[in-house]
Amino acid sequence: MKATKWLAIVTLLALLLPLVAACGATPAPSTGGEGQPAQVTVEVTRIVEKECEEAPKEEIPEGAIVIDFWHAFGGGRKLLIERMVADYNYTHPGVYVRVENKGSYRDTLNAAILAAQQGNPPHIVQIFEVGSQLALDSGIFIPFEDNAPEWVNMDDLIGGVSNYYRFNGKFYSMPWNSSNPILYYNKDMFRAAGLDPEKPPETFEEMLDVCEKIVGSGVAKNCVSWPLHSWFFEQWMANMGAELANNGNGRDARATEVYLTSDAAKTIVSWWKEMYDKGYYAYSGKLEDWDGADAIFVSGQAAMEITSTSDVVNRQNDAAENGFELGTGYLPYPANSERQGVIVGGASMWMSGGHPEEELKAATDFVTWFTNTENAVRWHKATGYFPIRKSAVTVLEGQQWFERNPAYRAAFDQLLNTKDTKATRGAVIGAFPEVRTIIEQAIEKVLAGQATVDEALQQAKEEADKAIEDYNKSVE
Amino acid sequence: MSTAKFKGKWVPWLFMLPTLIILAVFLYYPVIQTFRLSFYRVAFLGLKTKFTGLDNYIDLLKDSNYHHTVLVTLVITTAVVVIGLGISLFIAMLANQKIRGAHIYRFLLIWPFALSPAVAGVVFLFMFSPGFGVVNYLTSLVIGRELNWLGDPTLAVILIIMASIWKNLGYNIVFYLAALQNVNTEVLEAASIDGANAWQRFWRVTFALLSPMTFFLLITNITYSFFDIFGMVDILTKGGPQDATNVMIYNLYRDAFEYYKTGLASAQSVILFLLVVLVTLIQFRTSGRQVHYGG
Repeated sequence: MKATKWLAIVTLLALLLPLVAACGATPAPSTGGEGQPAQVTVEVTRIVEKECEEAPKEEIPEGAIVIDFWHAFGGGRKLLIERMVADYNYTHPGVYVRVENKGSYRDTLNAAILAAQQGNPPHIVQIFEVGSQLALDSGIFIPFEDNAPEWVNMDDLIGGVSNYYRFNGKFYSMPWNSSNPILYYNKDMFRAAGLDPEKPPETFEEMLDVCEKIVGSGVAKNCVSWPLHSWFFEQWMANMGAELANNGNGRDARATEVYLTSDAAKTIVSWWKEMYDKGYYAYSGKLEDWDGADAIFVSGQAAMEITSTSDVVNRQNDAAENGFELGTGYLPYPANSERQGVIVGGASMWMSGGHPEEELKAATDFVTWFTNTENAVRWHKATGYFPIRKSAVTVLEGQQWFERNPAYRAAFDQLLNTKDTKATRGAVIGAFPEVRTIIEQAIEKVLAGQATVDEALQQAKEEADKAIEDYNKSVE
Repeated sequence: MSTAKFKGKWVPWLFMLPTLIILAVFLYYPVIQTFRLSFYRVAFLGLKTKFTGLDNYIDLLKDSNYHHTVLVTLVITTAVVVIGLGISLFIAMLANQKIRGAHIYRFLLIWPFALSPAVAGVVFLFMFSPGFGVVNYLTSLVIGRELNWLGDPTLAVILIIMASIWKNLGYNIVFYLAALQNVNTEVLEAASIDGANAWQRFWRVTFALLSPMTFFLLITNITYSFFDIFGMVDILTKGGPQDATNVMIYNLYRDAFEYYKTGLASAQSVILFLLVVLVTLIQFRTSGRQVHYGG
């Protein structure tokens, strides 16, 4: 019996060790890259927020107006938000913003709806961009522009952002974190394959050529990875000038069908399939697996990754940790179409109704502060999401930020060079979550060889149209 | 043994009140609401409701995707229960031997059960990931190929079955061990004196005496594989690829919380509930007679 007792004690201690180790390893924080000169060699500026440090717990001051702010960020971004909120609370006595992370984007929206059902919605909620029609239909939220103080300059928002978030000419929410897809690539692998590390591929055809060289020379097992997510399909559609939904992409009137069988759609899915068949494109096997695609690139299995610009900081850190040089480029497009640009992804801040006047004013004040020029600059530097205000861009250019940090440049230029069309404004569909899964499953079927491109897209169109019809019936 | 006697008829109810309140609020009320909502078309988790009678049920019964979901659930459940119990019984019999370190083995075998499904799911996800997972490294050494565990429909189903069986092994082994230790060795000796070989001794004596435990474990494992498998599916495959692992409980979660089709999801909940009740009833009817209680 004694041996078992010792074994039990040792095992229990061993189980507890990981908990201690996790909080012990703290990477050294840097000052955020501001005063440091750009390094074009392998050492990349590392921007890190301390991982395990909890924001100091504050007491709610007496008589303060309490505002609830729910968001969907975790990890370093959560700590960043908490610090920004602490700044606000410190400089605005009389108002106390209670910030909370509610899980994923979907969890946050669900939590907000359920809270509203109980008559107690949070004042400010972060809602993902394709949940905008859902947010509009739910009736919980009030248009931000109606309550914004007049000195808030909505014209200061950069074009791509305001084009997305203006519905019927009005801002119902305040844009916050906006991103778009870019191409990340491993410059060292490019050099090893005999390619120019300063010239990433720009078109679908160039991607095929570059991949042939990379995989052919054995530099990497695959060439490129990106999550099997409908977002990329939607971006390529917009880049080719093709609208996803009818009725002006759902902006002139409620969308009733999606154009999944258009030529643009077929071109995209055919190229996707060709890349997969030749072993150039790799994904984890799971749908919407952002982490899986990151892992394939960072582990060196692929030389390139297409993913969100919001990961610039993460990719830079990964490159520094794994000892390779990171490059960024535009989202590739088919050579025979003219590049139109990209749709903003990300989320915005919505304000709920049913609160007393003073709380409404305080909440509006906070949202305005949180997305002002200084905070837009801070947010961009710490994450990689766009500086959504033109004034923020001016500040950054004045600091030569993009010169010193070229990785951030590609995303930014790509958005600025986007043409304003109904396609690049982004589709507005109520049943978007379901439509996205339908599109992803169709692409999955094509990659697995279980259907041709035409068959899969035709079936997807029928299913998606039905889903939209059901949704529209449920909200009429 | 005498039962306690309470003074006054309402005192027992007073003692049961906390449990009854919790059951009513957290179990019975949601169940009643689910039944009720299944007859409505619900938008936004309840903000708008419209009575539609049996439409949700009719839509489900006509939907071939739903038939596929039910089929997938039945296949996975059968595999998890039958194979899981088989392996658990085998391991329990091994652990029941009088060998050195038997206590340590028994202690270690219970571990998987103590893990949360999410943690177990993540561990399996890392092990079976393409490109950097341990399992694919081993298969490339042994058979020279990497298998697409997450992307191939058949392999994904096998992965879910394996992960679910592994997760529940601890639970089954504990119960089987307890039951095995209650098997009277005199009966086994009598059987071997009568000329029974090891195989016959196992089936006709040990297994027969284990039948109450098997019956109990069948029911709990069926419940486990209908409901608790959600964690594994959500983390490993999210119902994919192409709905190959889209079990009923995952499908109704997706319809309720991602597509906001609460009414439809409620109807699916009711159907799942009826299915489990049906399976349990069948079990009681057929196996009830084969269970031998008492040594």
